Amino acid sequence: MSTVAAVSVEQLTRVFRVPGLRRREFTAVSDVSVEVQPGEVYGLIGPNGSGKSTTMKVLLGLLRATSGKCAIFGRDSARVDSREEVGYLPENPYFYKHLTGAETLEFYGKLCGLRGRELRDRIGEMLALVDLEESRDRRLGGYSKGMLQRIGLAQAIIHRPRLVVLDEPTAGVDPLGSRQIRDLILELKRRGITVILSSHLLEQVQEVCDRIGIIFRGRMLREGSLAEITEVGNRSELVLEGMTPELMEEIRALAAARGAKWIHDGHPRTTLETLFLEVTSAAAEAARASGGKS
Amino acid sequence: METAAPLRRHRSFSFGRVWTIATGTLTQLVRMKVFAFMAIFAVVLIGASFAFADLKTEQELKMLKDVSFAAIQLFCMLFAIAGTAMLIPRDVEDRTLYTILCKPVSRLEYLLGKLGGMVLVLVISLGAMDLLFTGVLHLKQRTVVEQNVAELEYRPFRSQEEREKAVAEIIEVATQQGASWNLQAGMAAILAKSIVLTAVTLLVSTFATSTLFTIMVSLALMVIGHAQGLAREVLLDEADGAVLPRLVAGGVALLFPDFKTFDVLDAVITGTVVPGVEVLKMGGLCGIYCVLYMLAAWVLFADKEL
Repeated sequence: MSTVAAVSVEQLTRVFRVPGLRRREFTAVSDVSVEVQPGEVYGLIGPNGSGKSTTMKVLLGLLRATSGKCAIFGRDSARVDSREEVGYLPENPYFYKHLTGAETLEFYGKLCGLRGRELRDRIGEMLALVDLEESRDRRLGGYSKGMLQRIGLAQAIIHRPRLVVLDEPTAGVDPLGSRQIRDLILELKRRGITVILSSHLLEQVQEVCDRIGIIFRGRMLREGSLAEITEVGNRSELVLEGMTPELMEEIRALAAARGAKWIHDGHPRTTLETLFLEVTSAAAEAARASGGKS
Repeated sequence: METAAPLRRHRSFSFGRVWTIATGTLTQLVRMKVFAFMAIFAVVLIGASFAFADLKTEQELKMLKDVSFAAIQLFCMLFAIAGTAMLIPRDVEDRTLYTILCKPVSRLEYLLGKLGGMVLVLVISLGAMDLLFTGVLHLKQRTVVEQNVAELEYRPFRSQEEREKAVAEIIEVATQQGASWNLQAGMAAILAKSIVLTAVTLLVSTFATSTLFTIMVSLALMVIGHAQGLAREVLLDEADGAVLPRLVAGGVALLFPDFKTFDVLDAVITGTVVPGVEVLKMGGLCGIYCVLYMLAAWVLFADKEL
């Protein structure tokens, strides 16, 4: 039995007219093709202005394709009904500041046809998922950037979509908030929800994505699974614990004898993000243990 | 394990979604404290109720109605423009529109929701001003009758019958010029005008580049709408059967709302009863204008690149 792709982008091209007297044009996306299978987490990476957001907007029906086709679970993405299956979190979202967290979820839930008890339960569930239960009755005008991203993610998935599109979900968010969002993406993946995310935080993309596309100046340069595109085919690495200088010398000698070139050795390093989180978590834990006394 | 929901059946048009956007718009405007302008109206109304005490019964009540209706109309029309002008540009600038249109919401539903929200705000604010105005007019009517009847004590009458006739005259004039159902025809006209202006402003905001542009264009359209009936008459009188002026007049009448057709306020203020058919006609015309402008707005907004 063949499965319908969660997302299918075929030879997508999007050309913008540059305002002015001269009829100049700018190609934001050129001949891009992507296929994302159900349950996958797909990362679209590229520098600012490379065409990531334009691709996503066409996929969501916010922009029309100049040429090419986009489909979501087999349905033309320009059709409104295809959005029954999609949740979207735009880059730096600003929701209605006058609404509280719970009211925001109620508004978006109702737009998706949820009503009554089902909606109320879903709001509670979503607020718990994004850890905003305590702020449910606070207006969004008083939310921090990270909280806004999390409520944004909650509104994106309130109607249980099968596909979630996240545009720079951690832009401007501190490392702790960023880690929470990363964990939420992994949770979505665990629930079998397909995720497409764009980011230029490569390390985070590497942590959560199954497949990656590198887009630059509107063109897809590389695409494939994380292992495929990050593998350096002619090199190997070995990480050992309990290495002694003697053993190191033996391995070096063996490698030289077999004609292999020794490139580098040393201690593996943790990431700055992991170190930051370890240090701050330990400090928070210590503060909790001492009853909040500093 | 919870997984994604199964495929849902999508209804291409849903009143539920329109209502959700409409009530959301109402909440937005209420929390922006837009009803604060009604405090200014209350001051104008109370001031007007004391301002014309030296006039005759009939004129005093007429002036109160005149000033109040002028204030209500000005507030409603300016509010229809200013309130509507910021709705779409703000949603675009804040990218809130992305999150709404990425739900299964069509652009027509979004536009109708915004119109519906503004209509709700107009109905509530006009209703409140109507209540306040009718209440003040009723009190004024009673006070004026009491004062005038009291003044009769100092006038010599040949008979009790003549005195009763004078009292009856005072009551009749006050009743004709005081609070009555006829005032609601004037309120209906203001509401209809404001709703048409809301639809026009919404249409302008679908292609406008800023809130200021929308406000300026809509104000210009409001002025044209009030003057076009007169201009058409002059144009057609001078045209003497020529085709071009007739085509221009027809084109203008088709493109811009003719607010003169909603002008029943003068009749209401002078105490002339407005027939129910006139009110129905105004309602029908308001509906036709709204349908036309919303269709045009939909055509423009459907292709708007976000």
